[in-house]
Amino acid sequence: MITRRVLLGSALAIGFAFPAYAETLNVLMEGVPDTEFVKQVLPEFEAATGHKVNLEVVNYAEMHTKLVPQLVAPKGSYSVIVVDFYWVGEFTKAGWLQPLDDRIKADNVDTSVYIPALMDLVGKVDGVTYMLPFYNYAMGLTYRTDLLADPKNQEAFKAKYGMDLQPPKTWDEYLKQMEFFTRDGMHGVVNQGLRPDPIAMEWSNYLFANGAEYHDANWNPTFNNEKGVKAVQQYADAIDKYGPVGSASFSFDEAFNVMAQGKAYSYITYNFFRTAYDDPSKSSVVGKVEIMPVPGPTADTGGSLNGAWGWAIPKSSPNPDAAWEFIKWVESPEIAKKRALLGGSPTRTDVFEDPELNQKYPYAQALKSMLLTSHNFPVFTYTPQLVEVLGRELSLAVAGEKSAQDALTQIEKEFVDLAKKDGKLK
Amino acid sequence: MIESAHALTLTDRRDRRFGWLMASPSLALLFLVILFPVFWAFYTSLHDYTLISPNFDTFTGSANFIKAAEDGQFRHSLWLTTFFVVAVVLLEFLLGFLVALALNKVERFKAIYYAILLCPLLMNPVIVGLIWRMFLHPNLGIVNYLLSVVGIAPVNWLGSTKIAIWTVIMVDIWHQVSFMIVLLLAGLSALPREPYEAARVDGASPLQCFWRITVPLMRPVIIVTLLIRLIFAVKTYDLIYIMTRGGPGISTDFISYFIYRTAFVSLNIGEASAMSIILLGIILALTVYLYRYMRSLT
Repeated sequence: MITRRVLLGSALAIGFAFPAYAETLNVLMEGVPDTEFVKQVLPEFEAATGHKVNLEVVNYAEMHTKLVPQLVAPKGSYSVIVVDFYWVGEFTKAGWLQPLDDRIKADNVDTSVYIPALMDLVGKVDGVTYMLPFYNYAMGLTYRTDLLADPKNQEAFKAKYGMDLQPPKTWDEYLKQMEFFTRDGMHGVVNQGLRPDPIAMEWSNYLFANGAEYHDANWNPTFNNEKGVKAVQQYADAIDKYGPVGSASFSFDEAFNVMAQGKAYSYITYNFFRTAYDDPSKSSVVGKVEIMPVPGPTADTGGSLNGAWGWAIPKSSPNPDAAWEFIKWVESPEIAKKRALLGGSPTRTDVFEDPELNQKYPYAQALKSMLLTSHNFPVFTYTPQLVEVLGRELSLAVAGEKSAQDALTQIEKEFVDLAKKDGKLK
Repeated sequence: MIESAHALTLTDRRDRRFGWLMASPSLALLFLVILFPVFWAFYTSLHDYTLISPNFDTFTGSANFIKAAEDGQFRHSLWLTTFFVVAVVLLEFLLGFLVALALNKVERFKAIYYAILLCPLLMNPVIVGLIWRMFLHPNLGIVNYLLSVVGIAPVNWLGSTKIAIWTVIMVDIWHQVSFMIVLLLAGLSALPREPYEAARVDGASPLQCFWRITVPLMRPVIIVTLLIRLIFAVKTYDLIYIMTRGGPGISTDFISYFIYRTAFVSLNIGEASAMSIILLGIILALTVYLYRYMRSLT
């Protein structure tokens, strides 16, 4: 009897302690480290608001197919979703996301703390804010510090190229190192040459590093030129001359393994792999790999490709107000910092400046400057299709079945068709 | 004669009606899940239907079909798929028949052989692709390691445009050859003994027995086996998705993966439907031809 009364009483107490609108939030997310970190801090949100959050975690390939039917429906089941920059064009064009500007204004949320390039990628579309940047997966150059520090290597490098062996300041310097370290069973580089996204994403760094972009402000293509041709040739050389056999078909996990087994000097990859190099269960080069921005044509420019996910509230969200509460909380300075300290990839400048974070992860400043000098991939309705086209043509060029020039001409033709179809290019 | 064939008795007619009644639920279900989607796809293929604007507002007639037929990539994929299908079906058949003949003579431990043979067949193609990708990793995989032990240079299994398709063919054979063996073995063990005994009395050699008795008697089983395997091979998608994504270059860009991309990457359902209808036409024509051929034999 007493137990029942106690139970009843406490149930009532809990009921009154929380606001009357305690709701259940369904969130669809990808199974990646940053999702894990959200999961770890989630109990704080549930305790503070009384809302219950169901994280549905699936792998990338399933996400799009799971999302679309829910987004098309008048009332879907997802309160909050995360949007890859690939889908931003499609989702906003189809009108599936709620504009957040009014909510941002009402609650005085400061969006100027986000890295501008990330806000352009997974924040604003044509002046309207649809998302808040969740985490970044910009690509950086991971390289072997122990090989650079070896006096024998330094001497040999200086004798051969007449310059010091150090973390490369420019793209040309890096290409020399790529060539230099390809000897005695070592490879100067390992690439992810699999169609479509691994090759398209990696090659984009080569394009930017040569000083070119995909398009100008009016969506006229700007890659079918001398710089673009050089980027294709350098990429093909990296795979055929300086990389291990078979990297033309590597996905990122296979390329990472080659690097983690100590068989290559460098690998341009997503920055979240940086922590994996220091995990002894995955890597035999613990403490010997560092990350830096992909160097650009000059010392003060960068060639990194940007990439990120954003938080959004779908139009079909069953409880948009609670959804906004969640986004506001998860992107608040304290929680964003907590997630970063757990190992997440930040998107806010104030988090990057945090002393505690810089102490725990000495490479945080390198990641920040990588984001600040990074370049965006074209974001429009047909982004996934452009990735397909790039994948096909670049793979043909790497296989030697097409010249760099022919491949670029074909990419340009199809890019123009897609941009026109989307109304971006007049 | 003719009259009696037409003049059904009352009981006959009632039987017939009852037959239709009994069959109607399954017929309705078949219509709903097979015929209806096929017609729907055909209807879609005549329109400019995309996932960006999913509606039937623009009737385009044969435009999608013409576009597909004129697309060099699509024709390349068709040709490549044909090559793959012919290669795997032939090789799997030759290998499968050989093993089935050998196993047919085995008297002891048949169950164990069956169990071993069925193992690859029970595996999901995605798993098969993942496992082989690991085995065939050029630097860290076991296959190239074993080759290096006997002094053979590392093979670029999936990274070379010349080799990749043969690698996929090899993996498909590994995965599917037991299907052939099991079916052919079932056929072989059902063959009557008498013709063989008679042939032996007449002094026929084993080779003569094989060509004059086994092959003719097995023909229906062989054709059905080839037909089923052929249709399955045309659909090959999982292996490509996991192992090569159509690359390197366009050297393994099979038709099913091509159509998938047209539908779900290019979001162009109309054109993808037209391509599927073309593919369906080809498969149907082949099936009808083989079926007729089989009927003509029996």
